[in-house]
Amino acid sequence: MMPMPPDPEWKKGSAELLVLSLLEDQPRHGYDISKLIRVRSGGALQFHVTSLYPLLHRLEEDGAIEGKWVEKPDQRRRRYYSLTPHGAEILRSKQQSWKDFVAVISRITGIEHA
Amino acid sequence: MPDWKEVVRTRLKTLRLQGTKESALSEELSQHLEDHYRDLRSGGTSPQEAYRQTVAELDDLHPIQVQTERSRMPKDNLSADFWRDLRYSVRTIRQAPLFALFVILTLALGIGANTTVFTVINTLILNALPAENPSALAAIGIAKGSGYQPTSYADLKDYRERASAFESLAGYTSVRVITWQANTGAERMFTELVTGNYFSTLGLKPAAGRFFTLEEDGTPGAHPVAVMNYGVWQRRFGADPTVVGSTLRLNNQVVTIIGIAPANFIGVNAIFGPDVWIPAAMSQPLFTNEKIMALTDRAATAYMGVGRLKAGVSRSQAQANLATIAADLAREYPATNEGRKATVVSIRDAMFAGMGGSSAILFGSAILLMVVAIVLLIACSNVANLLLARAAARQQEMAVRLAMGASRFRLIRQLLTESVFLGLLSGVVGLFIAYAGLKLLFGTLPGAANFVAPRLDVTVFLFALAISLATGFLFGTVPALRASRAEIAITLKNEARTAGRSRGKIGLANVLLVGQVAFSFLLLVTATLFLRSIEHAYEMSPGFQTANLALFMSSPGQAGFAKPQTVAFYRDVRERLSRNPDIASASWASNLPLWARPIIGLEVEGRDKHSKAEQLSTILTIADTHYFETAGVTLERGRTFDATDQENSAPVAIVNTKLAHDFFPDGNAIGRRIQLPGEKQMRQVVGIARMANYSTWGEAPQLCVYVPLEQKFSDSMTLYVRSKADPHAVVLPVQRELRAAAPTLLISDTRIGSDIVNGGLFQARVGVALLTVFGLLALGLASIGLYGIMAYSVNQRKREIGLRMALGAAQASVMRLVLNQGMRLVSVGVGIGLVAALIVGQFLSRMLYGVNASDPLSIVGAAVVLLTSAFLACYLPARRASRVDPLVALREG
Repeated sequence: MMPMPPDPEWKKGSAELLVLSLLEDQPRHGYDISKLIRVRSGGALQFHVTSLYPLLHRLEEDGAIEGKWVEKPDQRRRRYYSLTPHGAEILRSKQQSWKDFVAVISRITGIEHA
Repeated sequence: MPDWKEVVRTRLKTLRLQGTKESALSEELSQHLEDHYRDLRSGGTSPQEAYRQTVAELDDLHPIQVQTERSRMPKDNLSADFWRDLRYSVRTIRQAPLFALFVILTLALGIGANTTVFTVINTLILNALPAENPSALAAIGIAKGSGYQPTSYADLKDYRERASAFESLAGYTSVRVITWQANTGAERMFTELVTGNYFSTLGLKPAAGRFFTLEEDGTPGAHPVAVMNYGVWQRRFGADPTVVGSTLRLNNQVVTIIGIAPANFIGVNAIFGPDVWIPAAMSQPLFTNEKIMALTDRAATAYMGVGRLKAGVSRSQAQANLATIAADLAREYPATNEGRKATVVSIRDAMFAGMGGSSAILFGSAILLMVVAIVLLIACSNVANLLLARAAARQQEMAVRLAMGASRFRLIRQLLTESVFLGLLSGVVGLFIAYAGLKLLFGTLPGAANFVAPRLDVTVFLFALAISLATGFLFGTVPALRASRAEIAITLKNEARTAGRSRGKIGLANVLLVGQVAFSFLLLVTATLFLRSIEHAYEMSPGFQTANLALFMSSPGQAGFAKPQTVAFYRDVRERLSRNPDIASASWASNLPLWARPIIGLEVEGRDKHSKAEQLSTILTIADTHYFETAGVTLERGRTFDATDQENSAPVAIVNTKLAHDFFPDGNAIGRRIQLPGEKQMRQVVGIARMANYSTWGEAPQLCVYVPLEQKFSDSMTLYVRSKADPHAVVLPVQRELRAAAPTLLISDTRIGSDIVNGGLFQARVGVALLTVFGLLALGLASIGLYGIMAYSVNQRKREIGLRMALGAAQASVMRLVLNQGMRLVSVGVGIGLVAALIVGQFLSRMLYGVNASDPLSIVGAAVVLLTSAFLACYLPARRASRVDPLVALREG
């Protein structure tokens, strides 16, 4: 069964968490990030370019991630984003608060972890 | 393959992106779209469908707009933000230079007024005595009511030798006139005789040369030396360094200047200082015939004491210490010292002696400070009102920022930076205004070199800085809080023209306006009260006739005249003037009107022994024949002095009505006897003169005794001349006769009666002038504020007014509508101001001459002035409202 697209408000609140999580292991460029979110959510979550890039730029301004133009032979240059130490901290705190949040919701609503 | 770069550029055109960061964004976007398109195509989507889906990614541009605005906006980083905010402020000011100019001028007037008054307070009160640790200093004298008066040099010497409470104790006389026989002719100078330890007691260091040694105040007449006032050295002697070591011929004695006193020190008195200080030991050769200056006579009370208290000793302990010594002296010298009580008062009372004491100065300063604070508050509320109006115009800008994630705190900080910046600019302009104001204020002082000079020092600059900052916060906070509360959704959706002021904002502006009107009214009433009071003061009789009076001060003794020569001179002048047909009468007297100082130790025959606990103080006037008719002092009973009163005839005196009524039943003092301090024989009272003002205008009643010149010699007298017509006309002829009688004598100080009155009311006139200026300033600011609000409100209601007129409202009724709105606020303000004025009036009543604090004329007068200018301020916008073209208003509105 195709998962239902979540409430847009929830998506907004969790966008930062998603982006930071995807950058935890390795640097990625924008299209890569957007593709991963779409694929891993089975199409339930999608970011338009006009939302994704402003978000990336905002995180960069806040010092959570760092963007670099990388040129590879036989390829056009691409902007890769990587997690900064500060971003790693933010990610950890967001993960924790997300876990707490889910746990609280579960306790109240009785919904078990899937 | 579509050109994605071109697609992105076209779609993002409306955002007007610029800079490298934003061009990088469009590159990323076009790459992303290209990848997406390629993936869709390789997944089998048709070119048209792939193109449609890819372009759809760009549908919602809002997040990009928000993010670009956000990166352009100042960041949440305190120090970096500050500079960004400052640059932003400069930009805002340059966008609306007229607004900024108006704000800066309005605030600068308020800050300037405050800085002016503060400088006066800083000079007179905070820093009046540039002595070392002035709080350990105390003034010493003879108790007189709650105040004090000078004591004798001999008494002070005993206090100094016997007292244990003081580290050191010095004495000084009040400022006295001394004649400087300069090469170019005689000139008037002022001097204070001081004890040898005067400067060391105060803890001062000379600006040049040295101060007195104790030895120089030892043997009488042995050390003719002097220390010069710094300001006098600067202004009268051009700061010539060779002045130290040079000599001056003063009262026929050659005196060597050995040092210059430090800058800003003009003596213990905070207002007026001498040209030179001379050791007390020189008093005999310099003031040969002035008995009051005698060093050994305990009845000669010319010296004020100033002492430095030992660490840990309080004033009351010192007082107890001196009380014991005074009691011992009373036993040792009962003739002079019986009932003489020593007192130790605050050094402040000595600093403001002759100005009504420190409490009068503090009271006056407090009132002036309050007045200028009110002026500044009005200026602030004016500017706050303007900012509130502008906040409405900037609501869109604020809403966009809030939407972009700026915190409210951040916005408030930015708006405050703007207002504090404006406040500081105003502070700079305000300092210039204060400088000009002080020049104007102190420029009115005659003989500026002897008067205190205003000090624009670091304290004043810090004060100006502090009130500029406070002003910025004060007028900026409320508008900033308001502006940053813009409701994002509503404001962004609405068109700019409908996003006007909410009801609450008009409400706050109205409250500010009512407050301004109330304060202006209060100030106007106060200024009018004082104006009326001074008018009354001029009308009030001082007990002598000032019209047709001319006065010429002379000191033959200081010019080296011996007693017979001086006596002959007095007689000669009198005879010469009696031949002048323009002169009604002429006489000599020892006191200048309103400049007399009391002496102590008067005895009245039959005075209750118990009341001898306190020595009586009285004004003593030595008067020639015809004095009473010339000075215009009415004789109530008895006779005046005449040719029968000679040196060897029975000693007589004339007393004033207060003395007669205080000590004799029914005031009948004729035939009773009194005794003056230092005199062995009693004097018989032969006349009773009406009471007058002797020392200050409108003073509390004082005792006064007149004695005939023939029976009490003085070599320093003032010539009183009563002219038949304009006194100016007799000044030159009288001076000619004086020169003919004594060619070597210089009569430099000549005054006519009105000068005496003006001089007596000098302080009051300065006070009234300041109050009037500040009152009018407040009125002007409040009127401008009223005009601004009314004009703004008319502009806001244009549509409504247009609609009314379209529906048939007449021009007159529209005008009435607007006028009503404005004048209702004004009436409320006047009402509140009236209540405040009545309350404040109660506190002011003791400073008013002959005017009731609730004087209806003052209140009605102030109300008329205020209502007229308020009406004008409302009328102009009202007239504009009545000329609104309904069609235009409805189309634009």
